[in-house]
Amino acid sequence: MLELLKTNLGTVLAVLGAACAAIFPGWGSAKGVGLVGQAAAGVVTEDPSKFGKVLILQILPGTQGLYGFLTAFLLMVQINIIGGDFAPVPLAQGMMYLGACMPMAVVGYFSAIAQAKAAASGVGIVAKRPDESGKAITFAAMVETYAVLALLISILAIFSIAGLSVR
Amino acid sequence: MAKLTVKRIEIVALLEDSKALVDYLQRRGVVELSDIGEQEQLHKLSTASTVSMFEKYLAAAQNALRILDRYVPVKQSFLASFNGRRQLTTEEAEIKTGNPDTVLKSCYEIADLSKKIDETAADIAREKARLDSLAPWLGLDIPMSVRSTAQTEVFIGTLPAAFSTGELLALFAAELPGAAEIDAEAISVAKDQSCIAVICHKEHAQRVHQALKDRGFVRAADTGHQLPEEAAAASEKEIARLAAGREAYTARIEALAAGREDIEFAVDGIVMRIDKYRCLERLALTDKTVALSGYIPEREAGKLARAVEERFTAAVSVSDLREDETPPVLLKNNAFAGAVESVTKMYSLPGKEDIDPNPVMAFFYYCFFGIMLSDAGYGLVMVIAALLAKKKFELEYSAKKTVNYVLFCGIATVFWGAMFGSWFGDIIQVVSKQFFGRPMGSIALWFEPVANPMTMLLYAFLFGIIHLFTGLGVRFYMLWRAGRKLAAVLDVVPVYLLVMGAAPLGANVVVAVPAIVLTAGKYLAAAGALGVVLTAGRSSKNIFGKLGGGLYGLYNTGAGYLGDILSYSRLLALGLCTGVIANVINLLGTIPGNKVVKAVLLTVVFLFGHTVNIAINIIGAYVHTNRLHYVEFFSKFYEGGGRAFTPLSANTKYFRYREETNNA
Repeated sequence: MLELLKTNLGTVLAVLGAACAAIFPGWGSAKGVGLVGQAAAGVVTEDPSKFGKVLILQILPGTQGLYGFLTAFLLMVQINIIGGDFAPVPLAQGMMYLGACMPMAVVGYFSAIAQAKAAASGVGIVAKRPDESGKAITFAAMVETYAVLALLISILAIFSIAGLSVR
Repeated sequence: MAKLTVKRIEIVALLEDSKALVDYLQRRGVVELSDIGEQEQLHKLSTASTVSMFEKYLAAAQNALRILDRYVPVKQSFLASFNGRRQLTTEEAEIKTGNPDTVLKSCYEIADLSKKIDETAADIAREKARLDSLAPWLGLDIPMSVRSTAQTEVFIGTLPAAFSTGELLALFAAELPGAAEIDAEAISVAKDQSCIAVICHKEHAQRVHQALKDRGFVRAADTGHQLPEEAAAASEKEIARLAAGREAYTARIEALAAGREDIEFAVDGIVMRIDKYRCLERLALTDKTVALSGYIPEREAGKLARAVEERFTAAVSVSDLREDETPPVLLKNNAFAGAVESVTKMYSLPGKEDIDPNPVMAFFYYCFFGIMLSDAGYGLVMVIAALLAKKKFELEYSAKKTVNYVLFCGIATVFWGAMFGSWFGDIIQVVSKQFFGRPMGSIALWFEPVANPMTMLLYAFLFGIIHLFTGLGVRFYMLWRAGRKLAAVLDVVPVYLLVMGAAPLGANVVVAVPAIVLTAGKYLAAAGALGVVLTAGRSSKNIFGKLGGGLYGLYNTGAGYLGDILSYSRLLALGLCTGVIANVINLLGTIPGNKVVKAVLLTVVFLFGHTVNIAINIIGAYVHTNRLHYVEFFSKFYEGGGRAFTPLSANTKYFRYREETNNA
């Protein structure tokens, strides 16, 4: 039993990391897209022709979910769970993978919700001044920068950990 | 290829020509009228009441169109909305003008019909509710309003439980033994309600009522004097009559829909008139003449002045603007740069001192868009869509720009996709391996970012530095042109040195940079930093202020440019996002072992998955390319705050006059 744990704990931790990267940003994005969707539905009740404009705003907080998915997927490819010859991940590497997923997991969740709030307010801009909808998109997009930065750190860490020779 | 020079045009004409003159200017659409202020001996027109009258007509006509859209929708595909407005020659327009009163009359009739249809619908709903309430009583053979006869008392109502006729009779037999004159009948029985009628001799009335009340009896609310059956029949007849009426109204609306074009034409005409009458307030009149003043693009000025003088008895003068005047902004670019004008407009039009940023940014814009979308297959989809739109539709000015935008972004995407070896993800490799058993390597012309993310990250920073340096270069040019040559050199050169020197030092963290470059970088960076410290505080008066300002400037420049350059990492992040998700889609399609099933599944997953991926990533690339330009690029040189040139023009929605010069 202990032996089994010793061999596989690294892999377990790595998969846990991938799961976190998929779960939390996806959770945040789902909340965020829902939040903006409610605001958007209000506008479309009044003026269905604004559907296209508010739809873009609604999609914006959805990207964190994608980034989380991307991180999880790359990690699973990296540790050969997807499409490769599986070999157990050393414990130290597994812990590193878990750590590497944290930026995306945490920042992804919170930035999705923060971005959704900015986008939901942006829906108000579209309602009152449809010509300025581009600015509403820009405000919401500002938040996304931090999700992009977290994604980069997570991905770069995942790529680099594979090359480290730790036991 | 930039901001057009705007001139001031002044026209003095005979009063009797004033209407024709303003009409002519509106059709040409190249003059923005400005208000001639109150002056002695000049009087002005007040058109507010006319405008509000036209606005009333406009509301009626637009309302009529909305109603027509509801009852007689025009089938139009989404793509067809790219088609421009219908074209009309002036003669056709004159024939169409016909009788505006008839058009308005039909508008009012349409509104009236729509109201009647709504009322009829309400009436029908009411009758249907009545039918529903009568339904349980249809078996009753006396009118529901009957309460008594000479000798008997009648109870018609409901009990809140199921009672059959037999149960009722048994009930009365138990409660009032010996009272044989009680006749009870359950008209209809449901689980929690029975509709009953009870007839009894007057002497038992009290006790019967009590017995019923104990069980929750409520008299029926409906007290029609007809038999329920007759009342229901009458209701049904009424519904039929109302429905026939509604059909007649709808048919009439459908008949009136034939005049939709006339109404659309009237809307256009009314909108034009409202614009015109608003502008008339800006003119100045004497007893015999009319004077107007406005802005006009220089390249149109000569042509218009000649045309006006030919057509009217008028004096036209074209002059330069005063120094303190802020001219309205009109941009003119070729197709390549013009397509990104909408991006600039969304930020802000160029201010008085700004140059038009579009020619400088267009190349970078498409390039960055391509790197972020980074899939040649997706790029091809965009190019094909744009070319189809160009071929199939008659595009108007702004739609043409949008299509060009898609085209150029698409071309850049194809280019970068090919460089990175991504065609709908790795579909070529996947098909080759899964169906032909031949594994293939990378088909990238340059390298695959997924395989070498660090390399791509460095290139992203390099592209960012080039972008920022170009922005700074524009700033240099603007300052130099404005005669502030020293400021140009001092603002820009130290930053160039600092960033160029620091970049290899930073890159050395990731890849090995030759020692000679590192040494050169150190000196360059030091020289740049010194330059910033010495010059950034130069506006301060005393030496400490200069030094403090310099140090603060160094901190600002360092932190600012570091943040700016790091921001370009999104070029890598978004590119990876598109590519990896595309690969995942292809992977999902190849899960089954059987080749036929695999082929079918792959086709379905391919079509659906890549459609979604294209849509999401185009939005992502659009948003982030905009951001790189708004935040990183524009902050280097661009002020914005310009006001758009808004000429008096035929600002129509449905029709376009062929002679109109549609360039604003």
